[in-house]
Amino acid sequence: MRRALGTLPTLVLLLGAAYCLLPVAWVLVAATKSSGELFATSTFSPGTSILANLDDLSSYRDGAFWRWMANSALYAGVGALLSAALSGLTGYALAKFAFRGRDLVFNALIAGVLVPSVVLAIPQYLLISEVGLADTYLSVLVPSVLSPYGIYLARIYAAAAVPEDVVEAARTDGAGEGRILWSIAVPMMAPGLVTVFLFQFVAIWNNFLLPFIMLGDDRKFPVTLGLYTMLNQGNTTPALYTLAIVGSLVSVLPLIALFLTLQRYWRVDLLSGAVKA
Amino acid sequence: MLSLATLIRPEIPMRFDIARKAVAAGLGLALLVGCGSSGGQEPEGPTELSFWAWAPNIEKVVDRWNAAHPDRKVVMSKQAQGDDLVTKLLTSAKAGSGPDLAQVEFQALPTLVSNDVLADIAAHASSVKGEFPDGVWQQVTLGGDGVYAIPQDSGPMMFYYRTDLFEQYGLTVPKTWDEYARTARTLRTKAPDKFLGTFSSNDPGWFAGLAQQAGGSWWSVDGDTWKVSIDDAATKKVASYWSGLVAEGAVDKTPMYTPEWNKALNDGTQIGWVSAVWAPGVLAGNAQSTVGKWAMAPLPQWDAASPRTGNWGGSTTAVTAGSKKQKAAAEFAIWLNTDPEAVAALVTDSGVYPAATKAQTGSALAKPPAFFPAQTDFYATAQRVASTAAGFTWGPNVNVAYTAYKNAFGAAITGGTDLAPALAEMQRATIDDLRASGFKVG
Amino acid sequence: MPSTTSRPRRAGAATPYLFVAPAVVLFLLVLAIPIAYTVYLSLFRIEVSGLGLGKGSRKEVFTGLGNYARTLTDAEMGAGALRVLGYGALLVPTMLLLALVFALLLDEDRARARGFSRIAIFLPYAIPGVIATLLWGFLYLPSTSPFVQLLTELSLPEVDLLSPTGIYFALANIAVWGGVGYNMIVLYTALRSIPRDLYEAARIDGCSPVQVALRIKIPLVVPALVLTTLFSVVATLQVFAEPTTLAPLTNSLSRTWSPLMKVYQDAFARGDVHSAAAASVVIAAVMFVLSFGLLRITRSRAFGGER
Repeated sequence: MRRALGTLPTLVLLLGAAYCLLPVAWVLVAATKSSGELFATSTFSPGTSILANLDDLSSYRDGAFWRWMANSALYAGVGALLSAALSGLTGYALAKFAFRGRDLVFNALIAGVLVPSVVLAIPQYLLISEVGLADTYLSVLVPSVLSPYGIYLARIYAAAAVPEDVVEAARTDGAGEGRILWSIAVPMMAPGLVTVFLFQFVAIWNNFLLPFIMLGDDRKFPVTLGLYTMLNQGNTTPALYTLAIVGSLVSVLPLIALFLTLQRYWRVDLLSGAVKA
Repeated sequence: MLSLATLIRPEIPMRFDIARKAVAAGLGLALLVGCGSSGGQEPEGPTELSFWAWAPNIEKVVDRWNAAHPDRKVVMSKQAQGDDLVTKLLTSAKAGSGPDLAQVEFQALPTLVSNDVLADIAAHASSVKGEFPDGVWQQVTLGGDGVYAIPQDSGPMMFYYRTDLFEQYGLTVPKTWDEYARTARTLRTKAPDKFLGTFSSNDPGWFAGLAQQAGGSWWSVDGDTWKVSIDDAATKKVASYWSGLVAEGAVDKTPMYTPEWNKALNDGTQIGWVSAVWAPGVLAGNAQSTVGKWAMAPLPQWDAASPRTGNWGGSTTAVTAGSKKQKAAAEFAIWLNTDPEAVAALVTDSGVYPAATKAQTGSALAKPPAFFPAQTDFYATAQRVASTAAGFTWGPNVNVAYTAYKNAFGAAITGGTDLAPALAEMQRATIDDLRASGFKVG
Repeated sequence: MPSTTSRPRRAGAATPYLFVAPAVVLFLLVLAIPIAYTVYLSLFRIEVSGLGLGKGSRKEVFTGLGNYARTLTDAEMGAGALRVLGYGALLVPTMLLLALVFALLLDEDRARARGFSRIAIFLPYAIPGVIATLLWGFLYLPSTSPFVQLLTELSLPEVDLLSPTGIYFALANIAVWGGVGYNMIVLYTALRSIPRDLYEAARIDGCSPVQVALRIKIPLVVPALVLTTLFSVVATLQVFAEPTTLAPLTNSLSRTWSPLMKVYQDAFARGDVHSAAAASVVIAAVMFVLSFGLLRITRSRAFGGER
């Protein structure tokens, strides 16, 4: 009876895992095929060209792909770092201080998020051009810093992880608010901030529309946009399927690495902050 | 991907007006403030020109220019294909941050001119009029006195077929559309898993080319009034012809440029392709295993006595209205598309079929495309076909008509209904849009 | 639920304002001003004179609520909203049910391969929607799909996922695939925060694992379920990237399939920023109504312990 009960859940979980891994397995296999093999051989039979494909990818337009990867790392790394910092600061303030306008600030932040980005794309582009920032790294980076979702999570973490009496005690000892935040609250909120960083990193890395609208210079493209231009070369040129497939595979590797190495931070309790280890 | 985090992915640009240069410097980032910020007067000293294009390897051709003109350096930025680029040009022009030069397809010219995106370079470019066929030149002047672009390549339509499979099934190359239909049916009976071609609801440019061949004229100008006749008799003839073939299952109905279609070309499920002069490059990419097995023939005809063809694709190099270096930019555009060495490089590196008359008989086109080693007269035939291309006037809302084509023809094909109502829908949507925008429509 | 009751300080000081200032400034610049600008744009329209080819032949004229009247009476917009509702009705329950089942199983000590499954099911979250759609596209198209090959070999009838009905399933599947892992993680984290001794007590009372799940675990994660549902519904209404990427592969998807796709077409293909802005405002208004419902729930549940 116990064994049977253990087998069924395991089976269901493995089925779920298989479903989620199937397309990933497809990319892995497809990445090994030459463009001749891609449409000629049966779906899951591996090809022989993985190294040649990687080589082609690296030499595509003098290493444009790696430049795009570096750009993505810059946008996602710097953006997520600043975003975690901003979220921590704001979340802490919202959780630990009662002040006039707190609810207004919080509601506005959360509600603003529900406006679809497609909707805002043009006005934002026009405005950003007006200040001369269109087609710059900053045009993609700066908007990525505000993450209402991160602020939302950080508020919950701060409420749950930073005990009020510790803060009070520090105040009684005469510590300034900035010092309390930096030496007491931040260490306590650290796991939550790492989570915010991770989600924001993925969000920026996978973002497409913002750089698509903002950037004209392909040397500033992130990898998603670069792959898109590879796939979309017009009637007269077939899509560079093989390169785009290998490129897609390579471009998700850093994210998979993040998943595996920082496993324990991938948890989101929208209600209680998941502070219990 | 559906999740909270997707919802709030930071796809949200912003206005950022604090000391931006200081911040940029602090972060160690390059800051490229929109091009052409150098003021009213055309600069005399060294300058850089920005160029958005998508043609493959066009950067190699640009490198040649840069080597010879170090003080007029052209900075290439590779973009996604035509429609996406039109979108970006429209938005960047509104914002005043576009490039100096852009690759623009013929059918997008009126849209861009109408939105004041392109510069009139008649003062610099009228002299090269003679380098191009009249029909092509007329498309960059939009029938007026202005010159809005320099033609780069054209896409006269042709018929491609698998010689080996035609032989195997005892088929002959169709010279008329009647023969094409008969050949398609014969093939279906001899090899029920194969098709002579497909009707693609995904490629309005393809259908527009077929309509041009039949004598269709979708837009025309009468005084200050636009006339739209997408559902004219000629186009109706084309639509009902394909409607019949699709309905009886004589041709396939999967869209072109999908993984499935690529596979079908590669494995011989599709043994023919109604395409244009640039097809060899496409086939080399998606049907590698069939190298040497294809041949090209003129497009099947409605009236074999007076052969015609249409254009599918074809593009130009245009100078933007926002550019402060229009003279230098126009010089580059002229060089790129008329200089013998540049055009030869375009042919060999980018694989385009040049619009310039001299280049079509030039030495770069002496050899057949690598994918068609056996057809030594490929470009001689191509030039003969190209000379029969029908003229065409594009309207200011081609993109609307194209979207309507994709939607209405896609729905008709999936619904298994006649294509004539879809054509009427395309006409209606195009006129409605013109009226809604305040154009005078006759 | 938070184990600590933190009592925010009633500070008259400027500290909290200083702390939230950067976020508020950024919010104004990134969101508030563009939204205001969108509303402004929605009140105008383009007027063309003559052939519209000369310089300055287009000018903006004030039209008041004209764009709104057109948006609200637009048949394609309404049809798109209906299509998205159908798609959502298919997607949201399936995804959340699967997420809940997986989360419960991950929380079940006897199941094996839990670490692996958790990562595997969460993995699609890392894959951009555009790429995910391309991958599934390959797996849907009859001639490249291993499933169709399998069905043919087993002499079973072919299932066309790219037919007009099939497309709903095809799209919902991509969204389920991409989103189930994320929702699973949310629910799983909620499950882990339930005190273990509750289960022990139930087990001693003779409850089977299934009964524990149904009577204790699920009721306790209802708040998390409500939240994930609401977020999923909002995301569903904004569906854009997947159908846009899938459309070129099939005849069954129009370029105006969802309301946001229509907005995109208006703004980018038709170059009519003004009516796109009006439609945007309407869509945003619907989102706001939803988000306020959402805020009511989250505030009472999530921040009960703060004040």
